[in-house]
Amino acid sequence: MRELMYLQAINEALAEELERDEKVFLIGEGVQTGTFGTTTGLVDRFGPERIMDSPLSETAIAGVAVGASMLGYRPVADLMFADFMYVCADEIFLKAAQWRFMHGGLQTLPCVFMANIGAYRKLGNEHSQCPFSLVLRSPGLKLAAPSDPYDAKGLLKTAIRDNNPVVYFFHKGLLGMSGPVPEEDYTIPFGQAVVRREGDDVTVVAPSFMGFWAIAAAEELKDRFSVEVIDPRTLEPLDLDTILVSVRKTGHLVILDEDTERCGFAAELAMQVMEKAFDDLDAPIKRVCAANYPIPGGVMEKYVIPQPEQVMAAIEEVMA
Amino acid sequence: MKFEKEDLVKLYRNLVRTRAFDEAAVRWLAQGKLLAFYHPAQGGEAPGVGGCTFLRDDDIVYPHLRGHGLPHMIGKGISPKLYLAEHCGKATGAAGGMGGFHSVFPEKGALGAGGTIGSCFPVSVGWALAAKKNGRGQVVVCFFGDGSANRGTWHEAANMAALWKLPVVWVCENNGVAQFVPIEDAYPLEDLSNLASAFGMPAVVVDGQDVMAVAEAVTAAVERAREGKGPSFVECKTARFGPHGIGNPDKVHGKDRDPRQIEELKRRDPVALFRSRLLEQGVLTEEDAERISREAEAEVAETEAFIDQSPFPDDPGMLDRALYAE
Repeated sequence: MRELMYLQAINEALAEELERDEKVFLIGEGVQTGTFGTTTGLVDRFGPERIMDSPLSETAIAGVAVGASMLGYRPVADLMFADFMYVCADEIFLKAAQWRFMHGGLQTLPCVFMANIGAYRKLGNEHSQCPFSLVLRSPGLKLAAPSDPYDAKGLLKTAIRDNNPVVYFFHKGLLGMSGPVPEEDYTIPFGQAVVRREGDDVTVVAPSFMGFWAIAAAEELKDRFSVEVIDPRTLEPLDLDTILVSVRKTGHLVILDEDTERCGFAAELAMQVMEKAFDDLDAPIKRVCAANYPIPGGVMEKYVIPQPEQVMAAIEEVMA
Repeated sequence: MKFEKEDLVKLYRNLVRTRAFDEAAVRWLAQGKLLAFYHPAQGGEAPGVGGCTFLRDDDIVYPHLRGHGLPHMIGKGISPKLYLAEHCGKATGAAGGMGGFHSVFPEKGALGAGGTIGSCFPVSVGWALAAKKNGRGQVVVCFFGDGSANRGTWHEAANMAALWKLPVVWVCENNGVAQFVPIEDAYPLEDLSNLASAFGMPAVVVDGQDVMAVAEAVTAAVERAREGKGPSFVECKTARFGPHGIGNPDKVHGKDRDPRQIEELKRRDPVALFRSRLLEQGVLTEEDAERISREAEAEVAETEAFIDQSPFPDDPGMLDRALYAE
């Protein structure tokens, strides 16, 4: 199969959906140029009416996504960095997430908020966050977080076709990663996790970029432990069943989460596993997350964001 | 726009109905029938009624908070029955009792109203962009107060709307006080219409107690927007006769608002002003005016009976159906 980079897979998903449905349009600051290459070149094919360069106005960009989606369009709002969601929090978390609900289900808001997440680039606190928990504690939103080019394309196409607001987080550390991507039309259903590597001793749940390290750790430790790696692909809806099946087999669970530890996805998932599969666990669940600090600039970030050694240590600890 | 006699009567009737329903809402809140809270429209009915009565059904309004949008919804031809049943938490309400005072009537262009003041601007830009794209000639009319435009959302939305010549009309209901903060403490401006000039938008200041002046100014702005000439701004100098919300003290700077000032404001009651004018002009007789008032009271009574007979929602399954679309 042909290979594409993650950023090209995103670009191709946008192009295919823009082609397929004239109600789809893209809006964001500089999307005609494309900060990460994810939207580059689309304007040549679809024109400035559908690939809309906007002023530096995240709040208005998100407002456009909310308003236009209520009138039958399928806007994709490119917010550039997920950290910038705080700037348009009202539009995303109170309006997009909640207006259908508040209006008794009379309306649909099919919009996508796409933004890059992730640290490891020494970009400091306002360009490095991975705010999964921010989204997850807003019922009404869905959250997709692809970890390879195949998923990047398939999940984005599903996001655009979904009749609900979807937050689509692509990881800046994965943009240049290459992988097989079919040329034909395909989508990946939300709420279907994938087992990236099969194993019998310990389950590692690792969304987005964390999957990369989970696989590396599994490889490093392969002579000692058989590690099963699960990528949830979407955190809402979450495929808890696949995780439970694995935990019942291995009896051990490590959760990786690049977001801040406190009140995060890892804490939430650990509790859900406790509620459903406590008796199947042979050891307490371990989590590896960003420590409870802001993400500092410069080299100091390594003391806050998850490190590969911590992943291996966590696996060893639950297996001890 | 030239207003025919029937237009003027319609405008007057909507004004009278708004006052009647607003007074009813205050009563019902005290009786525990109207749920949540209430921010009366009294004194500030003309901008919403004048700005909405002559819109098309498919024009879109973002109602201002005063009267929780009653002036706008009544102006737009929306049944106060469904709106107030919703506000009373009844299953017969427009959103099945899920929305409370968050009003929605998609078929009449009321697509929603938020609780965070100033969030009207970005969403209105989204509606206006869709209206421009779909080419059906729809116009968005966004109503907001002097307090709302203190938000930064105004800047982003006004700029984007002007830049892209979107079909939106910004109607500022300036009553000179945002909850407890008088306008001189909130702006270094005499006229809020100045907020439009930075973006090259035309703006007018009208007497917001004169419902016809509002209707004329908004209609002109709507026609301009419909012709593809972009957004404009109408500042209505209006009034608030009572406190910000029922149960709030009516104070500024921690002290009661000057009763003489309120008396002064009440001398320019928009309902009474329009009534006198229509009587003077012979558009209405005293009997006509009395009949319109009686009809409004009858509509209130009928609405109250409808609400009283309506059940509260009791199906938690609604929550799931409303949360995500298929």
